[in-house]
Amino acid sequence: MNLLAPFQYSFMNEAMLVGALVGAVCAVLSCYLVLKGWSLMGDAISHAVLPGVVGAYMLGLPLAIGAFVSGLFCATATGWIKSNTRIKEDTVMGIVFTGLFALGLVMFTKVETDAHLNHILFGNILGIERGDMIQTLVASVLTLAVILFMRKDLLLFCFDPAHARAIGLNTNLLYYILLAVLATTIVASLQAVGIILVVAMLITPGCTARLLTDRFDHMLLIAASSSVLASCLGVYASYFMNGATGACIVLAQAAMFALAFVFGPKHGLIAARKRLA
Amino acid sequence: MTDLLTPFHYEYMVKAILVSGLIGGVCAFLSCFITLKGWSLMGDALSHAIVPGVSLAWMLGLPFSVGAFVAGILAALGMGWVKHNSRLREDAVIGVVFTSFFALGLLLLSLYPSNLNLRTIIFGNILAISDPDILQVLIISAGAILILGLKWRDLLLYCFDEGHARSIGLNTRFLHFLLLALLSATAVAALQTVGACLVVAMLVTPGATAYLLTDRFGRMLGIATLTGVLCGVVGAYASYFLNGSTGGCIVVLQTVIFLVALAFAPKHGLLAARAQRRAAASA
Repeated sequence: MNLLAPFQYSFMNEAMLVGALVGAVCAVLSCYLVLKGWSLMGDAISHAVLPGVVGAYMLGLPLAIGAFVSGLFCATATGWIKSNTRIKEDTVMGIVFTGLFALGLVMFTKVETDAHLNHILFGNILGIERGDMIQTLVASVLTLAVILFMRKDLLLFCFDPAHARAIGLNTNLLYYILLAVLATTIVASLQAVGIILVVAMLITPGCTARLLTDRFDHMLLIAASSSVLASCLGVYASYFMNGATGACIVLAQAAMFALAFVFGPKHGLIAARKRLA
Repeated sequence: MTDLLTPFHYEYMVKAILVSGLIGGVCAFLSCFITLKGWSLMGDALSHAIVPGVSLAWMLGLPFSVGAFVAGILAALGMGWVKHNSRLREDAVIGVVFTSFFALGLLLLSLYPSNLNLRTIIFGNILAISDPDILQVLIISAGAILILGLKWRDLLLYCFDEGHARSIGLNTRFLHFLLLALLSATAVAALQTVGACLVVAMLVTPGATAYLLTDRFGRMLGIATLTGVLCGVVGAYASYFLNGSTGGCIVVLQTVIFLVALAFAPKHGLLAARAQRRAAASA
């Protein structure tokens, strides 16, 4: 009986729903990021949204717009500096996103309320408000639609950009579409898991799925379902442990990755050892 | 005029300024190697991965830097192991491992509140640094400088051209772990000043700034260390007047200096490149 207790609270049910939705969107995108090798990009953009969020809060604009703008700014500035200097891309990215994040922190000291920043940094899935929920919903549906619509093109772009260009795809456009989708997804996840842990949701499910299958369609499905399951489990477990919900979700995802890493039928640790023996 | 000197009347400000300068310098010295090697993501990852160690060390009553260092090394070993045993790309493996460690750290902190609370870990809290913590920072810095001073030629070759380093008989595996250990140790020190999210800036930005300004590694080390110390000192000083976020001030300052170097560097800056292109076009 006690095990059903979380379901009696509407905020727990809503948290599971939002978590599952955000988890699914992030997971689908993570399959592309893992193939493309863009883990650092997800990390960078998720931190870089902070000054946009604080700025939008000061100006009274919707936070999502500020976040989107500064996330895209980070990505384009990185690309621009990289193509104009001899510094390596990962270094440039590190400089740009930390610069923006630090700017956000300094700006934040000029804002009075404290609660809001904590929500942005760590998420506030248990106390998510109606307006934020609608924002998350709209952003998630939008991203999912774009990704599914452009599924094949994006896949080819991530897997082999030279080939994509050779068959006449506009790879520049695809690059920016993927960036925009990434920024939108991060905006959608902000309220749920927060800046700090979004990057986990954008990497781990894709990696888990990659260990379990060789087909991209299957990879999308496995990533999405493992992520949805992890979100529900994480929210559910955090009720009993009374601990940070976002962290529980990420740890649930990590546990699934560990399972896939050890027991994966073809690429897992045990399977590999058997092949050797 | 006297207003500008007020920060120096407070002992905690003087301490904060000195410690920030020291950490800034050590991190900047290391950053030259990190930028050459292309290890920004690794720096970011390790600075997040040490958080559970901080929390566990508090529970066990150990000095926090010991716990943090162990957690950093464990994370690095875990990454190497997973990478070796799966077909995932390195950046993805780093991402999976460090976010798991970080999430574990956040969970532990939310379950067992310690003296290093969430705010300290995210923002750094150099203004309230205690004397035992200063001692830890001093030991770490001295150790890091000593090792870097003794081994910098080997490390330089390893960062610049791993294959060559191996072919002339250097133990690259050992150098790899030495660099990881140095990275974890300095990340621990920097965590206190600027917080987990901004450690990577201390470990990357000064090196990149110096790289824009010179072609010689010896000079690069000097310029990077100088900017690192300067930004640490001035950033901490400025944060007194801005009333908050010392870490934010230090990193913003480092970024500004980077941007200035990016625009005006004599040989590799944007303006110089434009002038070169124009000269080439008219010739």
